[in-house]
Amino acid sequence: MSDLRFSPRATVAKRDLASLRSEKTIVLALLIQLFIAAFSSFLVVGLTSLYEPSSVQGGGVDIGVSGEAREELVAAADEVDGVVTSTYTDADTARAQFRSGRLDAVLVGEYADTGDGSQVAVTATVPDGNVQTTLVVVQLRSVLTQLERDERADRTEHLQFEPLALPAEANASPYFGFTYTVLVPLLLFLPPFISGSVAVDTLTEEFERGTLELLRVAPVSLTDIVDAKAAAMILLAPVQAGVWLLLLAVNGITVGSPLALLVMVAAIATLLVGLGLGLGLVTRDRRQAQLLYSVLALLVFAVAALLPEHPATTVARLAVGSATSGTLAHVVGFAALAVAGAVVVRAYAGRVDVESLS
Amino acid sequence: MHPRKLLRIARWEVTKNAGGVDRRTAAVAVGALLLLGVLAPAIAGSGVAVDQGLYRVGVAADNPYHPVAAGDDTFAVRDPDPEALSQGDIDLLITGSNPVTVRAASDAKGRAAAAEFRSAVESYNDAQLGREGENETAAFPVSVTLEYESRSDSGGATAGGGGDSGGDTAAGGGAGGGGGGAGGDADDGAVSPGSGGDSGGSAAADAGGAGGVLGGLGSDSGSTTNPSDLAPPFPFESLVLAFVFIVPLNFLIQAYGSTFLSERLNRRGELLLVSPVTRLDIIAGKTLPYFLGAMALEAAIAVGLTYLATGSLGGLVSVLAVTPLVLLFLAATFLGAMFARSFKELTFLTVTITVTLTSYAFVPAIFTNAGPVALISPLTVVVRTLQGQAVPLADFAFSTLPPLLTAAVLFGLGAGLYREEDLFAQRSVPLKLLDALAGPVRKRWHVGAVTALLIPFVFVLELLAVAFLFALGELSIPLVLVAVAVIEEVAKSLHVYASFEHSRFERTVRTGLVVGAISGVGFFLAEKLTAIAQAVGLDAVPTGEAALQTGLIQGANPLVLLVASLVLPLLLHVVTAAISAVGASRTRRAYLAALAVAIVVHLAYNLVVLGAVVGGV
Repeated sequence: MSDLRFSPRATVAKRDLASLRSEKTIVLALLIQLFIAAFSSFLVVGLTSLYEPSSVQGGGVDIGVSGEAREELVAAADEVDGVVTSTYTDADTARAQFRSGRLDAVLVGEYADTGDGSQVAVTATVPDGNVQTTLVVVQLRSVLTQLERDERADRTEHLQFEPLALPAEANASPYFGFTYTVLVPLLLFLPPFISGSVAVDTLTEEFERGTLELLRVAPVSLTDIVDAKAAAMILLAPVQAGVWLLLLAVNGITVGSPLALLVMVAAIATLLVGLGLGLGLVTRDRRQAQLLYSVLALLVFAVAALLPEHPATTVARLAVGSATSGTLAHVVGFAALAVAGAVVVRAYAGRVDVESLS
Repeated sequence: MHPRKLLRIARWEVTKNAGGVDRRTAAVAVGALLLLGVLAPAIAGSGVAVDQGLYRVGVAADNPYHPVAAGDDTFAVRDPDPEALSQGDIDLLITGSNPVTVRAASDAKGRAAAAEFRSAVESYNDAQLGREGENETAAFPVSVTLEYESRSDSGGATAGGGGDSGGDTAAGGGAGGGGGGAGGDADDGAVSPGSGGDSGGSAAADAGGAGGVLGGLGSDSGSTTNPSDLAPPFPFESLVLAFVFIVPLNFLIQAYGSTFLSERLNRRGELLLVSPVTRLDIIAGKTLPYFLGAMALEAAIAVGLTYLATGSLGGLVSVLAVTPLVLLFLAATFLGAMFARSFKELTFLTVTITVTLTSYAFVPAIFTNAGPVALISPLTVVVRTLQGQAVPLADFAFSTLPPLLTAAVLFGLGAGLYREEDLFAQRSVPLKLLDALAGPVRKRWHVGAVTALLIPFVFVLELLAVAFLFALGELSIPLVLVAVAVIEEVAKSLHVYASFEHSRFERTVRTGLVVGAISGVGFFLAEKLTAIAQAVGLDAVPTGEAALQTGLIQGANPLVLLVASLVLPLLLHVVTAAISAVGASRTRRAYLAALAVAIVVHLAYNLVVLGAVVGGV
């Protein structure tokens, strides 16, 4: 170990990392991850602002109310933020106002007899084909569910099940769940996936360029080369993941159990890099290896859903701080699997006939 | 172009290279995909709930709220221990039943847990009341019929297809049984649902068995539901479609990129280059098998989806709409393979391409029901076709022509590099980009031609910026203006800089001014052509509420001032292009500084014009 810095493995690993650096591809990789994160955040912020109008400032919805049940509708609407109602005795007047653009929606509530009691049949008219429709429908839903609760309360004697009272509304960030269940797993799984893909490239490139021939005359075995390439790529993943965790922390998103998370990332990176290098050794052709790598990685990720906890769930629970002993068992399991995978790939590399390489 | 030679190269590509994906690899890949298909039901059944056990709730087993937490995967049930709450071992503590006391941990997680619990109680109530034996009207005293009504004058045409049939997708498809029950007994209440007379509705009804997402593709807007089943228009199907159509392309471009890069390794491609074929034959020949393969795949998907959604054969429009996307993927990958120095670099470039193009196809399609913005993505055409809407020719052209032309430009730039001295040179990606841009420039007027050729690219980027920033509301206007200024100025000057770097012109201020002016004129002329095409395209799209968005596009490409002031934009483009060209004629740093100045000038102009337009309307 004393001459680790000069060992052939370290040299090969350093050379791979240096080529990544000189091509500045690692910068591109980080940019891609940043873009994906920004992209998914954009989607969520954009959609949430559509779905929860209260999460953005301003923009009340003007609703015209008419029909027999208009007073009940107005009472329900008063309890919903961001809704302004105006009452019309005549539904057609309200619709005319809607068509001229002075109202965002029209609600006409009539009592309808349906056999075992009367029901409030509401006809909601909303504008067709624009973004505001979503916002309007969301607000209407709030108004109408409120109306439903009010009406139910009046009819509890006809019900066998008494609806549970709703707890008070909490002032929560609508992005909280998303941050931990989508964003963090995404940021932590992308680096291992990219590492595996690059591992395929570094190995198959040596085959295709014929440079493995040159390495063969050097005093290193194929196992050494595979080791070195694996080490370089596996190391990159937790480093990137660590950077993301730090950046999240700077942005006020605290992530629990960072150590377990990094172990998880390292384990998954080992598995994927092992897969990539194994495929590279078997096929010795970039196209085939990459194709198989993408397909198999997809398969592995999908099949992981059959585990008691999907890896993404494990990461989410660790990050949010709701880890159970089962969660930790999954981390340990992945680490064990990673070690086993590494042993298998190394054993295979040791058995490859070096003379047959060309 | 020699068709026979081209076809021979295509055959080689299939037998030598694609055939190089040997049987073993193909078998493993197919096997893996089949396994995925077989396991899919089991995977879907086990439910990929990423938020499983996210919040820990302390609630006693005899508490009436216990089944709420126990029945929802998001919550992990713990003992109601006040100590645990203060120590942070649980996030929510529920005690008492009437009234219920919910104590949340004081951090963000506690508040999120409380909000989540509130909505869980709501759905729990609905589920309990929806069971058999309950008095229907007492349990669900309100029924809602949602009607979409178009407010624009041209509404007759657009409403014909039920513009918002996506509206009830979640309720109709997702809520399935529950919605059906309520819908049945309230049928008489819904006298004339759906002002938009959904032609797709009836077709979807009998294909409803196709189930899930696809069943909802054509569901109509007038169905009667409970208030809590009321689903705001969310084009979930766009998400699925983006996935279905685009994921195969990502696998394909891996192989496609490899084949070109392998030519560049060890000078292998030299053999083809010295053979008596043109480089266009080589490129087209090597591309053809991948293009045909991709189109076969996409056609199968389109026909299959059409069959599932409407129960009849069709999908030609969908196939035509996806063609530009396929070409765009291939063209971008081809250029990437021309730029990359190694497989590693190619991987990163491919991932970049994948991410960018997927968002290009996907983001606007999210707003499928949001008028003109959605049409930026060709996938919108696919979604609308599947919904049984007729897509006007102008709309079709609006969403497919820009990507098609962009693909052509990318192929053109890449083809310029397909020659001995560039093919085997190891240069960094930015330098390669400059090579590609400077390649076609031999005379001064060529600069204007290149600028004009870059227009589709500019157009696509601007549309992408609009689509991205669109959701931000008020804030989006200045941001879009900034994006537009940056994109246009870079497009007008980058190849000028490249030409100076490649010593195509003398490095003098005079040359800079002349070349810059030519670039500006080229930009102006080409932009005017697209503006006319755009006027035709946007004419058919209902403006009204979306006037803001079209206004943005108009403000950016001074369409508003169509004939009235051709002089001002011309002056602007000439002046800004000249500013950056003078910088480009000196050094890299001078170029960047001049570019910044040009962007600022452009931005200032746009703000003034927009102000004038808004004030004038």
